[in-house]
Amino acid sequence: MSELAILIDRGTKVVVQGITGKIGSFQTELMIQYGTKVVAGVTPGKGGQTISGVPVFDSLHKAVGETAPEVSICFVPGPHAADAAMEAIDAGLRLVVVVTEAVPLFDTIKMLTIASEKETFILGPDTAGLISPGRSKVGVHPHRLFLEGPVGMISRSGALSYETAKTLTEQGIGQSTVIGLGGGPIWGFTYLDALRLFQEDEDTDAVVLLGEIGGSMEEEAADYIKKEFSKPVVALIVGRTAPPGQKMGHAGAIVQRGKGSAQDKIAALEEAGALVARAPREIPNLLRKKVRI
Amino acid sequence: MEEKLQASKELYAGMTYDFNLKCPVAIASSHGGVDIETLAKEHPRDIVRKPIDPFRSFKPYMGRAMAAEIGLQGILSIQYANVMNSLWRIFEQHDAELVETNPLAIVGDRLIALDAKLNLDDKSLFRQSTLLNNIEPMPPPRSEGVESRRSRAKEMGIPTYMEMEGNIGAIADGAGTGMLTLDLVVDSGGKIGVYCEMGGETTAELMENTMKAVLSVERTHVILINLIGGLNRMDEMARGITNYLKKHPTKVPVVVRMSGTMEEDGRRILGTEGIQAYGNLYEAVERAVHLSR
Repeated sequence: MSELAILIDRGTKVVVQGITGKIGSFQTELMIQYGTKVVAGVTPGKGGQTISGVPVFDSLHKAVGETAPEVSICFVPGPHAADAAMEAIDAGLRLVVVVTEAVPLFDTIKMLTIASEKETFILGPDTAGLISPGRSKVGVHPHRLFLEGPVGMISRSGALSYETAKTLTEQGIGQSTVIGLGGGPIWGFTYLDALRLFQEDEDTDAVVLLGEIGGSMEEEAADYIKKEFSKPVVALIVGRTAPPGQKMGHAGAIVQRGKGSAQDKIAALEEAGALVARAPREIPNLLRKKVRI
Repeated sequence: MEEKLQASKELYAGMTYDFNLKCPVAIASSHGGVDIETLAKEHPRDIVRKPIDPFRSFKPYMGRAMAAEIGLQGILSIQYANVMNSLWRIFEQHDAELVETNPLAIVGDRLIALDAKLNLDDKSLFRQSTLLNNIEPMPPPRSEGVESRRSRAKEMGIPTYMEMEGNIGAIADGAGTGMLTLDLVVDSGGKIGVYCEMGGETTAELMENTMKAVLSVERTHVILINLIGGLNRMDEMARGITNYLKKHPTKVPVVVRMSGTMEEDGRRILGTEGIQAYGNLYEAVERAVHLSR
């Protein structure tokens, strides 16, 4: 097994933006317990403290100058989250994980526009982040449910990825990297971006794609899987029984005028050659049909 | 006083987001009077769309170009461009998701907006207090029923509240696992009566309030709570459930599935009210469906 998983590895240095908040400080402690190399935290106006042994800086640029992180995880509240993310992009970080749920749409658009100019990946907003089990976690995953292994996983919903990882782990099937994309309706990093990285990742033998109603990201993924992706894919789409026109907890999870239905996504993925499960518990056997695990 | 107007033609002018392009988009059409999705389906060639860079914003010349593209000339094209400019100002200043004048009628040599619509971005309301203070809130529903329960759920801060015909009250702490719970209940032959999703960052208080909301629906025969925490702490969730049951003892059976962050503490707290939480989601669903019969 190589040292480098996709996006993060054992040596990845991480900065936590919003480290002094209730959630930021609690999750920082959990990441450190897991072995993530958290080298700095940032909260404007609170520089000089330490949280779980991590030095806190007033600005990201100062943190970068002194501790050289490559990746940021952002717990900054909605009104200031995009500004924090743009500071991270400006400082040249290659990946910014925006956990914050309520980022104003216009701010999200600005943040993603700048990120695309600088070639920084933005994961989220409203994401659980990512975990490469046994190596590093830049996210809020309950890490006991995860196990190191050969299956890559991509999910809009964090909770659905925990649920599915738990099922795989209980069956002894480990995961290479588990990525949360966020609740939408606009995403930085997409299924397509993740699939491209999994295609090149020698530690990933198969991919589990967890989707939900709304938008067309799963259909785009299906198109790529059909044309270019060479590894087996097992998929699950939730929201089969959700009433049309109802926002189902995620801003992006809504069937509007017949668009974005589970049925369409399932059909597109099956057409692309993916095996589609109806529940997480069916996924281990579908994976075993395609790969020796 | 409303004039009686003889419109010779009805146009469309609007601003919204293009979630695929990840930017705002100005939309013009020489067909007005129907909603934009129907328009896109029925007259795709008559729609002009202009993506807007969020930093460069919408410029007056863009409005004039769009007016020309939908066939307007002279004074009407200037008026149309002015309307577009005003829509952009409203869109940007008030964090709209959609602002449109539809239909925008040509009456002689004037343009008159016969109807207009403004949808605000929920996640930006914190910075729209001036606008919100000028909007008269909808009066609370007078009679007891689904509408009053829905509005109470909103007041209590429950992100998703939905009623259906069945007798199972379902609660989840994630959008993806919430939809999965609904799908599994339906697959097992159960019927959902009320569904609440609490979001990934939940407190004991919100959990308690969600119990209250679900039990305010009389047809709730059983409550199924599916919790799998990353950001959400199971000790907090357990405290919310037990706090509710201590204050309002109920004969309605409460089936809890609990997994994730601070799970041991959560189980211990639930035990004090005699609740044994399931670890396996499918067993919990089967149990709840069985109890609902």
